[in-house]
Amino acid sequence: MSGSSSLLNWILWMPIIGAVVTLLIPKAKENAVRFWALANTAITFVLTLVLYAKFDTSVGGMQEQFSIKVPWIEQFNIFYSLAVDGISLPMILLTSLLFFICILSSWTVTKSIKAYFALFLFLQSSVFGVFLAMDFFLFYVYWEVMLIPMFFLIGVWGGENKEYAAVKFFLYTFFGSILMLVGLVALYFVTGQGVDSFNILALHGGQFTDLTLNIFGSEWSFAHVFFVMLFIGFAIKVPVFPFHTWLPHAHVQAPTAISVILAGVLLKMGTYGFLRIAFPIFPEASVYFAESIAWLGLVNIIYGAFCAMAQTDVKRLVAYSSVSHMGFVMLGLAAMTTQGMNGAVLQMFNHGTSTAMLFLLIGILYERSHHRWIVRPDGTKGFGGLQTQMPKFAIVFIIAMFASMGLPGLSGFISEALIFLGIYERFTTITFMALLGLLLGAAYLLWMFKRMFFGEVIEECKSYTDMNKREVFFMLPLCVAVIVFGVWPNPVLNIMKASVNDLVTLLAQF
Amino acid sequence: MALIYLANLAHYVPEIVLCVTMIGLLFVESTYDDDATSRPYLFTLAGIGLLTSLVLLFFASGDEPQAIFTNSMVIDPFSNLIKIIMVLGTLGVVYLCKESKDIATNLKAEFVILCVGVLIGGMILASANNMLMLFIGIETLSILSYTLASLKKHDERSSEAGLKYSIYGGVTSGIMLFGMSHIFGMTGTIQFAEIGAAMSTLSPAEVAILMPSFLLFFTGIGYKIACVPFHMWAPDVYEGAPIPVTTFFSIVPKMAGLAVLVRVTMVFFAEETLLQHSWIGTVSVIAALTMTVGNVAAIGQRSVKRMLAYSSISHAGMMMMGAVVLNELGHRAILFYGVTYLFMTLVAFFILSFVSDRYQNDHFERFNGLIYRYPLMAVMMIVVMFSLAGVPPLSGFVAKFNILSALVNSKMYVLAVIAGLNSVVSLYYYLKIVRIMVFKEADASDNLPGFGFQNQAIIVVLTIPVLVLGLFWSNLMSFATGAKLFLIQ
Repeated sequence: MSGSSSLLNWILWMPIIGAVVTLLIPKAKENAVRFWALANTAITFVLTLVLYAKFDTSVGGMQEQFSIKVPWIEQFNIFYSLAVDGISLPMILLTSLLFFICILSSWTVTKSIKAYFALFLFLQSSVFGVFLAMDFFLFYVYWEVMLIPMFFLIGVWGGENKEYAAVKFFLYTFFGSILMLVGLVALYFVTGQGVDSFNILALHGGQFTDLTLNIFGSEWSFAHVFFVMLFIGFAIKVPVFPFHTWLPHAHVQAPTAISVILAGVLLKMGTYGFLRIAFPIFPEASVYFAESIAWLGLVNIIYGAFCAMAQTDVKRLVAYSSVSHMGFVMLGLAAMTTQGMNGAVLQMFNHGTSTAMLFLLIGILYERSHHRWIVRPDGTKGFGGLQTQMPKFAIVFIIAMFASMGLPGLSGFISEALIFLGIYERFTTITFMALLGLLLGAAYLLWMFKRMFFGEVIEECKSYTDMNKREVFFMLPLCVAVIVFGVWPNPVLNIMKASVNDLVTLLAQF
Repeated sequence: MALIYLANLAHYVPEIVLCVTMIGLLFVESTYDDDATSRPYLFTLAGIGLLTSLVLLFFASGDEPQAIFTNSMVIDPFSNLIKIIMVLGTLGVVYLCKESKDIATNLKAEFVILCVGVLIGGMILASANNMLMLFIGIETLSILSYTLASLKKHDERSSEAGLKYSIYGGVTSGIMLFGMSHIFGMTGTIQFAEIGAAMSTLSPAEVAILMPSFLLFFTGIGYKIACVPFHMWAPDVYEGAPIPVTTFFSIVPKMAGLAVLVRVTMVFFAEETLLQHSWIGTVSVIAALTMTVGNVAAIGQRSVKRMLAYSSISHAGMMMMGAVVLNELGHRAILFYGVTYLFMTLVAFFILSFVSDRYQNDHFERFNGLIYRYPLMAVMMIVVMFSLAGVPPLSGFVAKFNILSALVNSKMYVLAVIAGLNSVVSLYYYLKIVRIMVFKEADASDNLPGFGFQNQAIIVVLTIPVLVLGLFWSNLMSFATGAKLFLIQ
């Protein structure tokens, strides 16, 4: 093993080290806990940058120089197997960046901060685990483990209806993963319980296309049945309509940092699941269901946008905008063309940055206002004239909003454009209807902006102070990211290109 | 002949040790006054007896399978591991009884003696190789259990539990015996192996008679496992009985019943016959129903004990699934499940017992904010709850994973999905406890005397397997794979 080969181990376990140390710091030293957590995520971020620097963009598939494979449960041929490719690397970078920023934004958390930061770091490790695991069993374990810290983070540090949201989130996702579990066990036995039976990469390639299975005497295509099972498992995470109902609750009730992680990273795990597992393992079934997926994506876009428009709670509005934007990712995936797929992966990354910004900004605002009403239930304005009162805040908000809307020059535009290029040749009708979604997206965001930022400064907003240095500091990297990747997306596109092409080539055979 | 018997006894030492312990306990008990506040030798003796038996079982676990006492009993690795689980469970329960306030001091001796007795019954069941031994095992197990259930003499609910249990037990034993007599009438033997051999030579008329007879026969086993529709007694008995008794009931009789179910299924129905289809079909449906009913009923409970009782019903249903696949994958899944279930149940009931000792009841509110008062205990409870629900990386997940693999391997996808969905349902009520412990504020700041250092240490030690077996389950898996059932020769 060369020196760089343990890099993935370090990335995966660094947050765990951080969490353990956090628990050992004496309770009274609150700042020590915060700074340690910050330092820890900073180290992890640097490690992922090292990974990025060493990444070989010309190679599709897994980067062998980083791969780690150690037997875990030998009887079942389960391996502790980590690897990275062009699809997971952007997600890993996004994860480490957002966790670093979120630690900064969590500076104001006061309730049991040791537990908070320990769980937070634990969450980071499990998210890395999902993106790095190349053993289906290991993937599943991380996929589930992630729910435990999330459950507590939402349930303990969340808003007024946190318990309901936490339980709903946990149950919903657990339901999806159980279906995935049945799928993975079935794959294990179908492939003869061999050395590669849990190896995600070895399962790729559509070897299950012709299998059938018998349920109560009727014949079904093995690939179709289990594709649907996996699809539901991942779709709940994305979330694809009609499995999205947990999302508004979880987002709204979660504390700011958790909403950011939820929207920025966890939703991408669903689409990552399609790219890594569902599509390559069952290519024939994915092509067969492509049109349905595209329609579901379209429903997501339109429905999410209309829901967002109707919201009076600004956090809920952004939450629904995530539903809408993840619909674009689904469209890109369903296109199964080079542009579409690239656009989808890029959109996963870009949506991660822009939504994270919006949630962070809402968190900043909430710390001043302690409410999130655009319009209160009694019809009065919740915010007004923030532009005058908080100019710096308004500028950052504008950047975030336009990035999310897909204004040319900002990051959202490129990925959405790629997605539309990709989808147009396959599903023309859907393309035109999805364009309507773009329009709606602009409408609800601008309307929200108008109601909150323009007009007279209302009485209670007069006490709000503008962003402080810490807040500016942690918003800055994301601002840079949305602007830079809006003009020059190549750094991200280059790393994913080869891997995405492999997948598209595979899908094109069916 | 007599010599062979004596030689056979050598394989029967663990049980004999327990019999001697039980008699010893009776003597020790008689030396105490009724109002003696402590009974030191009692628990020491019980502990020594159980541990000796445990060690002997461990050493015997690698032995070749043996049919002893003219084939009426069989000692094989499978029954050995089941016995190990039951002895460990009894050990835990005896310790709990020592610490618990739910059993009056002057009744603790009776509890321990009866426990050991039930355990012996369970061990007979696990080894039974003919109908007679099976019936003796079930009756030993049951009759002593009736007394256990009504151990709180002056408590109405406990007496009710005992009465209910014995009425149910009596009726099901009768029905079972009726079924057995039919089976004997059709096949002319009570030996399992011979009945199994006769299965493939039956005429259609005989099959038609045997089909309902096996259902009647199943009643007795099903009642011990507490599977639907023979579960009605379980929640009331579990609630009425003192907590250590409930703990005991949710481990030992269940494991014994499952062992019998597995053996009977394998010996009688290994070959594809019409009877096999009807038996497997029945057991599958009952297993699915058991899981579902147990889980759904657990949701609405206010008492944690009752909730755990229902959850243990659903776990039994899950384990039954391992029996219907008719292969070793299923057996090892059951064994693995049994081991993890043992530890999870013990921890959950230990914590419950210490909390409810303080308040004299076990409503959910008693757990409010436990994490702010006893963080370590609350974390252990959380671990166990997640494990019971089957969240990785805990051992409960691995157990469910094994059951699922056994089902999927036999292409029983529908059952697998039902089993999976049930763990989602169960997560809901397990989360309820977690939620109450973590999200609610503590409403009392008084100490719980049960959580002394020693008890906390024991709970932690019992939780360690729950964690470790979730991550490194290779060894236990090999052990369970090695614990094969001794089949017809």
